[in-house]
Amino acid sequence: MTGDYGALGRALLPEGVLVATALVVILCDLVWGRGRGRESRVQASVLLGLLGLVAACVILWQEGVLGEVGSGALNLDFLAVAVRVGVVVLSGFSLLTLVGGNTRSQPAEYVALLLFATVGFLQMAAAQTLLLAFLGLELASLSLYVLAGYDRTRPESAEAALKYYLQGGVSAAVLLFGFSLLYGLTGSIGFREISLVLVSNPPGALGAVAVGMVLVAFGYKVAVAPFHLWAPDVYQGAPTSSAALIASASKLAGVALFWRLLWSGLGPTSGGVNLSSSGPGGWVLVVAVMAAASLLLGNLVALAQRNLRRLLAYSAIGHAGGLALGLLAAGEVGPGPLFYYAATYGLATVGIFGCIALTERETSCATLEDLAGLWRRSPLVAACLAVFVLSLAGIPPLAGFFGKFVVFAAALRIDGLGHPAGWVALLAIVMSMVSLYYYLIVLKQAWLVVPPTPPRRMAVPLVASLALVAAAAGLVVLGVFPSILLGLF
Amino acid sequence: MSPLHLCLLLSTVLFCIGLAAVLVRTSAILVLLGVELMLNAANLNFIAFWRYGPGGDDTGVIFVLFSIAVAAAEAAVGLALVIALHRHRRTIALKAANQLRG
Amino acid sequence: MTLSASLLWLIPATPLAASVFGLFAPRTARTLPIAGALLGLVAALGLSVAALAGALVDPAVRATSDFAWFTFGAQTLRLGWLLDPLAGFMCVLVTLIGLLVALFSTAYLRHDPRIGRFFGFLSLFVAAMLGLLVTNSLLLLFICWELVGLASYLLIGFWYERPAAAAAAKKAFITTRIGDLGFLIGLVWLHQATGSALFHDGGAGALDAPTLARLSSTLLPGGWAVSTAIGLLLFVGAAGKSGQFPLHVWLPDAMEGPTPVSALIHAATMVAAGVFLMARVFPLMAADQGLATVPFHALTGVAVIGAVTALLGAVLAVAQNDIKRVLAYSTVSQLGYMMLAIGVGSWVAAVFHLITHAFFKALLFLGAGSVIDATHHEQDLRRLGGLAGRMRVTFATFALGTGALMGLPFVFSGFWSKEAILHAAEGWTVSHLPFAAGLVGVVLTAFYMTRLVLEVFFGKARGEGAAHAEESPGLMRGPLVVLAVAAVGLGWLGLPNWPWLQTRLQGGDWPVHGLGEGFGLMVVSTALVLLGIGAGWWWYGRVKRTDARALDPLARSWPAVHAALAGRLWLDELYAATVGRAFAMLARVAAFFDRWVWGGAVEAAGRTAETVGQVNRAVDEDGLNAGFDNTSEHLRGSGRRYAKAQTGDAQSYLRVVAIGLAVVGVLLLWGGVR
Repeated sequence: MTGDYGALGRALLPEGVLVATALVVILCDLVWGRGRGRESRVQASVLLGLLGLVAACVILWQEGVLGEVGSGALNLDFLAVAVRVGVVVLSGFSLLTLVGGNTRSQPAEYVALLLFATVGFLQMAAAQTLLLAFLGLELASLSLYVLAGYDRTRPESAEAALKYYLQGGVSAAVLLFGFSLLYGLTGSIGFREISLVLVSNPPGALGAVAVGMVLVAFGYKVAVAPFHLWAPDVYQGAPTSSAALIASASKLAGVALFWRLLWSGLGPTSGGVNLSSSGPGGWVLVVAVMAAASLLLGNLVALAQRNLRRLLAYSAIGHAGGLALGLLAAGEVGPGPLFYYAATYGLATVGIFGCIALTERETSCATLEDLAGLWRRSPLVAACLAVFVLSLAGIPPLAGFFGKFVVFAAALRIDGLGHPAGWVALLAIVMSMVSLYYYLIVLKQAWLVVPPTPPRRMAVPLVASLALVAAAAGLVVLGVFPSILLGLF
Repeated sequence: MSPLHLCLLLSTVLFCIGLAAVLVRTSAILVLLGVELMLNAANLNFIAFWRYGPGGDDTGVIFVLFSIAVAAAEAAVGLALVIALHRHRRTIALKAANQLRG
Repeated sequence: MTLSASLLWLIPATPLAASVFGLFAPRTARTLPIAGALLGLVAALGLSVAALAGALVDPAVRATSDFAWFTFGAQTLRLGWLLDPLAGFMCVLVTLIGLLVALFSTAYLRHDPRIGRFFGFLSLFVAAMLGLLVTNSLLLLFICWELVGLASYLLIGFWYERPAAAAAAKKAFITTRIGDLGFLIGLVWLHQATGSALFHDGGAGALDAPTLARLSSTLLPGGWAVSTAIGLLLFVGAAGKSGQFPLHVWLPDAMEGPTPVSALIHAATMVAAGVFLMARVFPLMAADQGLATVPFHALTGVAVIGAVTALLGAVLAVAQNDIKRVLAYSTVSQLGYMMLAIGVGSWVAAVFHLITHAFFKALLFLGAGSVIDATHHEQDLRRLGGLAGRMRVTFATFALGTGALMGLPFVFSGFWSKEAILHAAEGWTVSHLPFAAGLVGVVLTAFYMTRLVLEVFFGKARGEGAAHAEESPGLMRGPLVVLAVAAVGLGWLGLPNWPWLQTRLQGGDWPVHGLGEGFGLMVVSTALVLLGIGAGWWWYGRVKRTDARALDPLARSWPAVHAALAGRLWLDELYAATVGRAFAMLARVAAFFDRWVWGGAVEAAGRTAETVGQVNRAVDEDGLNAGFDNTSEHLRGSGRRYAKAQTGDAQSYLRVVAIGLAVVGVLLLWGGVR
């Protein structure tokens, strides 16, 4: 493969910075952290990690849109840059939940793994060949498995990680098999070349199997039913900051990767956004079915949850249905609404996990009842929690409302109710009404219910409270001025 | 039957055996083995398509080299997680991992 | 001084700032949040008056000020503010009543430790309502609409320690949500069909004549005009908020909130939103009027539902024993009158009645609050009595409010606004049933209000609280007096021979007619009021109740009728017998599927069908009281059953993945990948 190595180097500079930072974090912990208290080691590691993320963010910003590099292996188009910045920011917020959260052993390795996962996300955002897509996906996944099982004191953590790993491993194997079939069918691993071949040679049954295998991996990565089963267990069992990363940045990167793969690579097999006269077919229909299943299942099961994290997980499955819908609509209106939805959803989710992390420092924060009286323990955390939860619920004028609005509107714009996506959008509207019920239960616990024992004021580190306020302010600002993100596309 | 078809048949059989192992074996280690079989079935496909297919360059081989490395890393992580399970539950039966539910 | 349209956002912004301040003030602070809320309301009132003054300079002009909210590709979504006399009058109404209610609350909630939070919510409530009034965009209106719902949920459930309050808040929330669903679908459809989210936009807005002509000329299958369908969907939303049958069930339960909240909800904020929405989108509702071919006019539906609600609310108010519930059902009934007026084409009469009703109903609720406060939270009118002598100011003002609500002739505001509605209904050519329903409602209204006043204020005290009641503090009496003056005086703004208010609202000529023309109707309705009062006195006045446990006089005369009314016409039982049984049946069918039909995919399909059925039923059930808790319970139940699929066994997850792969593959092969 020949190409402009200079451009490739510039394109990969953020990844390089992050990998270097990871190594520095470990080294620093070995040299400087020896014999020091756990708290200061955590702080040092987080600080270094944050510096690396900020540097990567600055570099991404400076370089801007580079276009295709490495002979088309990476496509740093506008969406890629936006997603890369997005995942770096979301990883940063996930990292910050460590500051407030329970201090765990070996913080340096944890931070390093988080940075490696971020490198995977960065690759996923820009990959334009099957190989880089697979590598990015696996780099992220392998790091995430370890992060999910990082808490060695709790059996739930190990169990969650194992379940995550097993389903991830099977999905990865299925995806790789699908990739091999695509390679065989088209003789190429570049998305664009695959698309060109598929246009001229309709793929047939083998192609259908290959597309189906890709969809399985998509379902797993974004937690769309029926491939969502890992999500509640991982949300519940994984350490808080790992769960935050899995719920936010990982989803954003996954959505971007599969948007690119499905539309610019497998677009010819979509059955067309506008279903042609020969009847429904192609993966658009399948994704619509998956989205509908997700919306129904996630929102209904969330109603029955008493555990806060499981509730979040099922609500995430419901939102995954929305993301799948956005993926469909992206064929018509471009990825703008999808990106807006995924990014603001990730921000709200990471914020909620931040609140959980702060709360569970002093008392447990497992069931909804554990939130009781949060507004007395810390009005700031309770207020930020309200912003995050209301944003997820889609209450205007927060960003979550707007994300739903643009995605549903885009889905309806395809062909009104003449297209399955229109019906799914209608279902999504109904389900967002249902979802408000359980979101408000969370807020009721935090804001109205008085706990049986008088609550104590909780100490909130300055950095953590700044991070929470920043995330909440981001949601408000993006909701009031959605053009900030949407106008870019 | 052309060699390509034979290879594809073999890889499909391998994939199915791996999947069957994943679905029915109770030991976590054997499930990991099943996943490895599935990954290697895909690798076999890449090699077969590279050898007999239309592609003119070495893409297939490169892909396989990378994916073997990834599979190795994946196996390492998987074994570590199985050990973590064993430490808590004193068994490697997958049934032991059923505390999180609902 | 006038306020231009571009500065209209200041009106909702001031209470909003106060609410943010109130909610984030230290928990122990009491004075600061109260002062902030009052200050915000006073400022908003001043701004509203200025805005109204600006709107009245030339009532025919609609001043709009739009701005682009965001641009996405070729699309620009614009929002904006709209100032016309309708918005101006409503703003003054809401801020004035909000201010009076807030003043009253400072005394009413003086012992509540969370009073600061209460004022925060109250300001939010008023701010959301004001935003709803001044917007020029259906989307922005919907946003404020949702915020109104959220704030009412918080306020009704303010005493969340009481299970009844928590349940009532939930019921109000869920019921109005069902209405909101219709609203949202109507909104999306309207946006889809017109390409504009603005009401008035120089001919391109959704309510401008060219757009409406297009909407009403586009026909759906079955001959319906698109505008009819959209209008009816919007009406579903309005019916949810304004407590129209069959979505009225939340309104009486909302009594569980603090009484000033009831006053606010029933007078100015929440329920007024639905009527206001109908008045705002009236051109859309009426767009299909000129079409002879359409099978159904949107306004006909509004009139019928309004008439049914007016009658039903009045009937149900007769046998209630809770003083606030009587007033609540009376609100349901009066809202029915307003919808009836809109349905028969006279939105101006509806808004006139909305304004007068807001004042006298706020007066009645605050009066009830004064009674409840003085008698240590005694709301059962069987245990009250004899308060006329002990609480003179309260009694006098309450009596004035009662006169206005009954529509006692010539002096009281309610008389003139009700007259306007009945006059419009009389002239409706489609059917005379709404008019008849309105007349029957007049008798019933006079009857139940006579009963209420006689039971609460006359006879002898029949309970501990009533025996030792003392007049309420000045901060509570003051708002009562102000409201009483308005309850009497406001009617003079809209006399048939001097329709100042109507002309301004209409933005043009209003048919002036002398008192003589509608004189026959006035005589009839006066006679009906007197008939109602006489009947009330016959049952409740001649022999005063002496014992709290004594049988209701009406029950003694007509036990069957009273039992039916007290049981809310057995709507609950009807529900249990029909919908409840149907559900049990479906559950059995589902159980059969569970047991006998193997396979995750098949089961999932069955579950999906069941869930869709449940959602359907959720929409059906809401007409019938008590359906809501069951519905949400059913939904949660289905959630629990789904959750059982999550067995926790890692291998079963993998099996689901394999099944999913197979299903996806089959779907793709069946559909054919092209």
